[in-house]
Amino acid sequence: MAEPLPPLKTVGHATPRIDAVDRVTGKATYTRDVRLPGMLYARVLRSPHPHARIRRIDTSKAAALPGVKAIATGDNCKVVWGAGGIAGGRQYSDEVKATTTQRRYAFNNPVRFVGDPVAAVAAVDRHVAEEALQLIAVDYELLPFVLDHEDALKPDAPKIWPEGNLALDVENKAQPMVQRRGSVDQALKQSAHVFEDRYSTQFVHNAQMEPRACVAAWDGDKLTVYTPTGGIANCRHDMARDLGIPEEKVRVICQYMGGNFGNKNQNQDADLIAAFLARLAGAPVKLETSRKEDFIGMHGRWPTTQYYTVGVKGDGTIDAIRLRAVSGMGGYRKNSGGMAGVELYACGNIESTISPAYTNRTVSGNYRGPEFPQGYFGVQSMMDDVAYRLKMDPVDFVLKNMARTAPGNASFTNFTLEECVRRGADAFEWKRRWRPQPGSDPGPIKRGAGMAFMEFRSGVGRSSAVITLDGKGQYTCFVGVTDVGAGAKTTMGMIAAEELGVPLSKIEVVWGDTDRCPYSVGESGSRTTIMTGYAVIEAARDLKKQIAEKGMPAREQKLIASATPNPTVEGRKVRNAFGAHFVEVEVDVELGRVRVTKYVSVADCGRLINPLTAKGQMAGGAIQAIGMALHEDLIYDQRTGQPLTAGFYYDRIPTHRDAPDIDVLFVESDDGYGAYGSKSLGESGKAPGPAAIANAIFNATGHRFKDLPITRARILEALA
Amino acid sequence: MKEPIDDIEISRRQFIEGTSAALAVAVTASPVAGQTAAVPASAAVPRTTIRLAVNGKARRVEVEDRWTLAELLRDHLGLTGTKLGCERGECGACTVQLDGKPVYSCSTLAVWADGRSVRTVEGLARGGRLDPLQQSFVDHDAPQCGFCTSGQLMTARALLDANPHPTADEVRSAMAGNLCRCSNYNRYVEAVLAAAAAGGSRA
Repeated sequence: MAEPLPPLKTVGHATPRIDAVDRVTGKATYTRDVRLPGMLYARVLRSPHPHARIRRIDTSKAAALPGVKAIATGDNCKVVWGAGGIAGGRQYSDEVKATTTQRRYAFNNPVRFVGDPVAAVAAVDRHVAEEALQLIAVDYELLPFVLDHEDALKPDAPKIWPEGNLALDVENKAQPMVQRRGSVDQALKQSAHVFEDRYSTQFVHNAQMEPRACVAAWDGDKLTVYTPTGGIANCRHDMARDLGIPEEKVRVICQYMGGNFGNKNQNQDADLIAAFLARLAGAPVKLETSRKEDFIGMHGRWPTTQYYTVGVKGDGTIDAIRLRAVSGMGGYRKNSGGMAGVELYACGNIESTISPAYTNRTVSGNYRGPEFPQGYFGVQSMMDDVAYRLKMDPVDFVLKNMARTAPGNASFTNFTLEECVRRGADAFEWKRRWRPQPGSDPGPIKRGAGMAFMEFRSGVGRSSAVITLDGKGQYTCFVGVTDVGAGAKTTMGMIAAEELGVPLSKIEVVWGDTDRCPYSVGESGSRTTIMTGYAVIEAARDLKKQIAEKGMPAREQKLIASATPNPTVEGRKVRNAFGAHFVEVEVDVELGRVRVTKYVSVADCGRLINPLTAKGQMAGGAIQAIGMALHEDLIYDQRTGQPLTAGFYYDRIPTHRDAPDIDVLFVESDDGYGAYGSKSLGESGKAPGPAAIANAIFNATGHRFKDLPITRARILEALA
Repeated sequence: MKEPIDDIEISRRQFIEGTSAALAVAVTASPVAGQTAAVPASAAVPRTTIRLAVNGKARRVEVEDRWTLAELLRDHLGLTGTKLGCERGECGACTVQLDGKPVYSCSTLAVWADGRSVRTVEGLARGGRLDPLQQSFVDHDAPQCGFCTSGQLMTARALLDANPHPTADEVRSAMAGNLCRCSNYNRYVEAVLAAAAAGGSRA
């Protein structure tokens, strides 16, 4: 067992957020709350067709409507949206934007999914803007479309791009992503048992509560953008690049945002369209999107189909894993389409071939551990099934086969996965809740238990922080975080307080404004605490050094300390967070209903900075996993290509009634990296959840559900 | 340009009440402060003057008949604490109290509030002191991103006013119409129960 960490003064103590009062009094300012003098309101017209060529757009009637101030279409707006739809899913790369042959514009022709922007209007109020959209006549030439990612790769499928539907990589080559080690073919010949199966996962929308919005204002050649972004520095860089203006001419502000979950990193087309309209109209523009637009016009988790072949020795040791998979990217490639999972196992023979395919559906992109929950569902359902077939307890099978080193035999900075699994099994009372014979409960209401485990990247890297101390003794910590909901402002303040040896109340935190704050990595990849937190420590050390040399500043003086550390991990070591989820479900096989009756989430996220917010993150991740496992799906009408469940109600994200108690346990560790040993946290809380829930449903019912979500209809179809 | 919104400024109220309805309409059809230009005359949007109490303050407002209550509160009364998450009655972020009952202000027309009393999140704290429920939300870290929080508060406050000692199940049922994608549901329930246990009554 890991030793308890020596306690610190501020870090590690449950601390209410420094901005909590703003959040409960309505004072917190979100993008849609921003109002500038002379501001116009913008609305976007979106394609009603899954695939069509635009022959002509007639905006004359809309332009004649009193109150309309600017109209943008692909005819007058040629802006390329660099953060989306570029080859290889390399979102941040300026080089790729220059070389890719598959460019995504703010307005595209042809349109490639229902929801692809076609035009936008800025008007004196939102009602006029909405009315104007109705007056825009678009002459579409309808093209054949394809919705399913496997169908899209068939030779006779309608081509969404001239090069075909297998998405191009960074070298403009249409080829799958391949990983290989050892020889799977050879190993399978010698395996005592070989198992094959197919698993699939659905498109899951981020469904953050705040629909996308943007307020853009030009002052001469300087652009100010208020937008819900998890990365103000990334967003500024992207806006400058896409609009062809210097970075210092862009200011990005995000004081509060209503959830992220990967959906609001970098710049978005809404930001570019608002900026374009504002320049055209000569007035600030607020662009608002509806909930339906947010569901179909943005992005969510890529759907997958995964085919596994697994070879196992007689003693239950995994010999070989082959994965052949297809990911559905929608009409543009916004991320890789990769799948995590096979690296979880200590297996010398692995072959993974993943084909990212274009479809005429909403674009796939980042959502909380972009390649994790869907990959984990496939591989950990598969391995759970293998364990049962070998008559092994799934926990024993996991302990036997988990990788204890990183790929290439690199060691981890510390390894607590085994402890996480054992601690979770104890806390959950695995032996008592797990049914050796799946589906053995008598009667229609059956209980069962399942588990799954995870590793999540926690690498260190470059970020910046500035801390000042004025003559009145006020410390101010400037960090380029936006606080997407995870509590980063408070965390950064706590780290500064700890390192400076002063109470948190002495620290003012300034955040969310590129004109005031230094570079931060952006709240994606669960790395703010690790990277920006470490920059805060370095800045605080610099400040302490200055105080030691110069003394406390006099009345009119100010000490300014800054740091941009770019730490690396020693040697070839790999730094990961670890964890395991244990779930008990109750399945009513006559009603098809699943209730989660016990949920234990264990994680080593390094040292916790603020246990209060950390626990909330992990519990929230688990409940999102329940939504993905049982409910959420963006369903399309196969005949028309129309999305049918675009909204909270039909997508069925979990409600108060669907939230069981989540027991969150932490195995705290300090491997000497990050801020006080902190590791990644936010995304990892969801990653193993859907697999654990599906495995519990198998244990309860004896039926292996291989397609997510495991809806009532699927349960009834299989069992009633 | 004067706003067509009348709070407790006596002279203006006396002025409006002392004139004919037609004149009041003519006067109050002026542009709303904060918006750029006049609503186009061609739109000929029907308007109605309503009286309502907002957070205990009497208001007389000329509204467009198509405005939702949320739109009135956010865009014309400056009360942006009420959030819009879906504008179709699915998420509850826009929940306010209408005569003490929680309603979705995105799905309530402003004209329906005529003669009624509206309470928003801005009306919970009294004299600079947080409502005990707000304090409990702070202590339990109930808001993560905070976007659904105003709605959760208004529903929970209405629940505790009607049922000062609810069970956890009653809290979940009452708040089922308030979504939270951060999924901090259990913290919200804990916070409401703790406020109830501590007396929970208004400060």
